[in-house]
Amino acid sequence: MSAMAPSPATAHYREAFERLQPQLGGSASRRAAAMQRFAELGFPGAREEAWKYTSLRRLESRRFVPAAPTTSSVDVPVAFVAQRLVLANGSPVGTVPAALGGFTLGTLTTASEDQLLRPVLGGGTERFAALNAALSTGPLLLSTATGQRSEDVLQLTLITTGAGPTLASPRVAVRMAAGSRARLLIDHVDDGAHEHFTNAVLDIELGAGAHLTLYRLQRQGERAFHIERIETRVGENATFIMRDSQLGAALARLDTNVGLDGRAAATELTGVFLADGARHLDSHIHVGHHAIETTSFQDYRGIAANKGRGVFNGKAIVHEGAQKSNARQVNRNLLLTRGAEIDTKPDLEIYADDVQCSHGTTTGQLDPNALFYLRSRGLSEPEARSALTRAFAGAVLARVDEPALAKYVHDELDRRLVRLLEVAA
Amino acid sequence: MLSIRDLHAQIGVRKILKGVNLEVKPGEVHAIMGPNGSGKSTLASVLVGRAGYEVTKGYAHYLGDDLLALEPEERARRGVFLAFQYPVEIPGVNNAYLLKAALNAVRKQRGLPELDAFEFLALIKDKMKLMQMDESFLSRGVNEGFSGGEKKRNEILQMAVLEPRLALLDETDSGLDIDALRVVASGVNSLRSPERAIVMVTHYQRLLDYIEPDFVHVLSDGRILRTGDKSLALELEKRGYDWVKQEASAA
Repeated sequence: MSAMAPSPATAHYREAFERLQPQLGGSASRRAAAMQRFAELGFPGAREEAWKYTSLRRLESRRFVPAAPTTSSVDVPVAFVAQRLVLANGSPVGTVPAALGGFTLGTLTTASEDQLLRPVLGGGTERFAALNAALSTGPLLLSTATGQRSEDVLQLTLITTGAGPTLASPRVAVRMAAGSRARLLIDHVDDGAHEHFTNAVLDIELGAGAHLTLYRLQRQGERAFHIERIETRVGENATFIMRDSQLGAALARLDTNVGLDGRAAATELTGVFLADGARHLDSHIHVGHHAIETTSFQDYRGIAANKGRGVFNGKAIVHEGAQKSNARQVNRNLLLTRGAEIDTKPDLEIYADDVQCSHGTTTGQLDPNALFYLRSRGLSEPEARSALTRAFAGAVLARVDEPALAKYVHDELDRRLVRLLEVAA
Repeated sequence: MLSIRDLHAQIGVRKILKGVNLEVKPGEVHAIMGPNGSGKSTLASVLVGRAGYEVTKGYAHYLGDDLLALEPEERARRGVFLAFQYPVEIPGVNNAYLLKAALNAVRKQRGLPELDAFEFLALIKDKMKLMQMDESFLSRGVNEGFSGGEKKRNEILQMAVLEPRLALLDETDSGLDIDALRVVASGVNSLRSPERAIVMVTHYQRLLDYIEPDFVHVLSDGRILRTGDKSLALELEKRGYDWVKQEASAA
């Protein structure tokens, strides 16, 4: 097959990359290869299964300027926890300390490029992970030593900011050694001044018996484009826990890929998304059970209102030989107003015979009997709807065991639900 | 206080209430008895504004206002309370939240300031003692995993907290053992007052041994066929409902 001419958007990013290249650290050939991979894959077409419900035509039509490395400080929301590092357009702001919040920190000048810019392969977002590897300005390595256990939470605030529409490419690699334990909170924000594009990659590897809890908050502005790939390899007896709150951006796509590679590796992925206004929020999960006695649990709750649209695709594949594995998926969705839409697809593929798997999906509206009961006690209809909606999300939010973050998400849901329900009433 | 005239109501094309007349004054306790399917629960549902019922004729006035024109929450705020026959379970919305939101909605309507958390707790603890309910109940989901008896006690607790002007009790005795019935009845009796009216809908006379009514009405096929004092309830207990129907059709 002859090579197709690059699309105007692809050509734009290649040219921008070539201009920016001298300022980017790391090996030029590695960066160039990543750029080449992005150019080969290009933007997804309408017929690509992984993008069936999410069109990137709007994103593709824009010409974002890739951010140059910077160390200048920016205004960011207050931290949820004591230990926090800010990355502006992917570059750490200020001096990067050697250690923070239970992790040892590394950058392109102090850590291995093989770790920092390791290619992320496969799936609908491989192209964007490659674009990120080409353009990433300040990739950060978070590592733990064998047996190092911390109950602290390290917060990374990732802000996208710029004088015009900016493409930020934050990249964080997490390498946890055997038996270590840590908690990481990633907070995605932007300056709201322009239509920015955040293209993030989080590349995680957990050694034997390691335990990572990742709290994720995506609260970018109403004009933001956000694409993110979380790639996780989980070793023997290791556990990866993710608590996701997908609340912001105009268009957001998150691919969470988890490979349960070692015996008895486990993952628990829970999240809530609120697609109100005209937001389009897409969460794809892909869990691969590659070893025996591996366990996965997914519980995602989606809320859509107004012209909001939610997409959920939760996939678990139990590969041959992954006997005695357990895969459970729950996805519940709530359509609060007319015009909202949620497309959900639970997906189990099982190639082993001695396994326990289940999935359940529901999409519906609030229980009219419960609604009437609350109103019969004097609650207004918006109050009653808001209380029931919070209860719906609360079942998942109860697992967010970082109090300041949990409070923020609860309050934010309240604020937005009351507003949209009062308008609807 | 409550004045119902020639009330007709239906669900879809099925006519259920066919001309109910009822006059309730402050301080009175009324019992509406009747066989299954006579329209007792429909009457209660129509009075609190449950969706799905169409009122085709007649009216219900409450303290001079057209009750049926008000939204359900508006009725509640003005002091109408229904203790449900089947209280719904609402996981994730806890009892404390509901009680506080409901109480503050009612207080706002009455021109009273909202209660803060401490005042609320002090008030609620007294009422919970009355209903013999454990404090852990406050942090549980509304009716979540409650036994039938706990649900009914919870209804009366809400009523005791909200202090309605007009309390409607829909089959509050159903599903209660004798001990739970005593607790529920003492809760209701503690709310008897010259300003408050209570209307109980019940199939059996048993509840009336504990909560003595001033008036007993027999509702059958969508109409009140007979009104008497509590001796009428005893007679119904002995003779069943058929004789009332026969006398009514003979008249």
